Amino acid sequence: MTKRTSLTIFKSVILALFLREIQTRFGTKKLGYFWAIFDAMLMVLVFAGLKSAISEKSMPGVDFPVFLASGFLAFFLWKNIVSKSIGAFSSNAALFNYVQVKPIDTIITRFLIEILVTSMATVVFLAIGLYFDFDITIENFNMVILAVAWLSLFGFSIGLFTAIIGTFYETFTKIVNIIMTPLLFVSALMYTVDSLPSALREIVLYNPLVHFIEMIHGNYFSVLDTKYVDYEYMFYWTFIPLFLALYFYRKAEKKIVSSR
Amino acid sequence: MIELHNVTKFYKTSKGKKYVLKNVTQTIPTDVNVGILGRNGAGKSTLLRMLGGIDFPNSGTISSDKTFSWPMGLAGGFQGSMTGRQNVKFVCRIYGKSDLEIEDAIKSVQDFSELGDYFDMPIKIYSSGMKSRLSFGLSLFFDFDYLIIDETLSVGDKNFQVKSKAALRKKIENCNVLLVSHSMPILKEICDAGIVVNNGQMTYYDDINDAINIYDDINKQK
Repeated sequence: MTKRTSLTIFKSVILALFLREIQTRFGTKKLGYFWAIFDAMLMVLVFAGLKSAISEKSMPGVDFPVFLASGFLAFFLWKNIVSKSIGAFSSNAALFNYVQVKPIDTIITRFLIEILVTSMATVVFLAIGLYFDFDITIENFNMVILAVAWLSLFGFSIGLFTAIIGTFYETFTKIVNIIMTPLLFVSALMYTVDSLPSALREIVLYNPLVHFIEMIHGNYFSVLDTKYVDYEYMFYWTFIPLFLALYFYRKAEKKIVSSR
Repeated sequence: MIELHNVTKFYKTSKGKKYVLKNVTQTIPTDVNVGILGRNGAGKSTLLRMLGGIDFPNSGTISSDKTFSWPMGLAGGFQGSMTGRQNVKFVCRIYGKSDLEIEDAIKSVQDFSELGDYFDMPIKIYSSGMKSRLSFGLSLFFDFDYLIIDETLSVGDKNFQVKSKAALRKKIENCNVLLVSHSMPILKEICDAGIVVNNGQMTYYDDINDAINIYDDINKQK
């Protein structure tokens, strides 16, 4: 058998895993396309409805449903990258029978798929926005893309980290899963940080996701700014878990595959 | 050549560590077909997986510059939610086969494995015999230095057994085999050398008949 370089092997494994996951995700009778937009759509409808029911004043210069959609799409991208990474090792365990398939490949694949799914969902949302005549103009397109890319990497770091630690300490996975739900309410998704009372603002800013969402909102809407975004804080939250995860992965790759 | 150096492998159980191999150093020479014998639970399959590079010892190293097939066994090794066809495609892809080669592989595996309609059904509804037929049929499509076979030559009806043994004999003209089996005739027919796994030790015999005799002795003692 001809020797292939590890990069060639890596690429063919990722492609094979990618096609396999797409097939299971969007195969027949799975409603995959529907679920891809469901989460974010539901949240937009619920909170836009609530907002118009309970308060008259809204953000001037911002179409509130667009504000919600941009934040929730980004939030669910992050959340899905993390939670899909957590299950990646166990649901692909049978494929580790092939020497070429390394555990981290399954996480990279799921990461790519989540980005693809969110991109498709975003196109659907933009189309709906256009149809209903919402103001979907993006003030600073490049910065929004940068923020989303960075957010995805942040998700990858946390996902990989949790997947590795969770392989050996199951409790850790449970804790991360428990944190996920309340995050929805404390991540500046249905309000801006600026609109919060200052005491609350300080607490909320400890949540790294808030900075990412503010970075997206601030660059999306011309009337909003990014004065609360702390890039250094975001950097630490992305790269410390990433390097720790990669370090642990190097140590534990064989143990993840080994029978115990 | 496969070299094992100070290899220790154990499983943690509620009654402490259960050793499969304890501090084993051994060289398996090139160009021999090796049969692996041992009682149930002695660790034959684990040894096979470690030799094939998909399981790892707790300490020590196993090294070889050869290529190994995936272990073909009754346990499967396929993703249950995928159909036979999808699994064939998947394995071809990770080995970097082109679309044309994948078409070929699908055809030849479909013919060889005689799965009929099951080929397009999810693997989780397959019997263990069907899984190993798919696995073995697929492996024939690739060139490995070693085929790793775990108890799969005795599945299927008489016809299929004859067919797969013939296919294997043809295949091992160009490669070697590491074979776990409880069937002495098959071991004698295919293997040159033997390994007996017992009580955390593995012993290599240049002649498969010696290995079989030792294995018989072990069985008589118990």
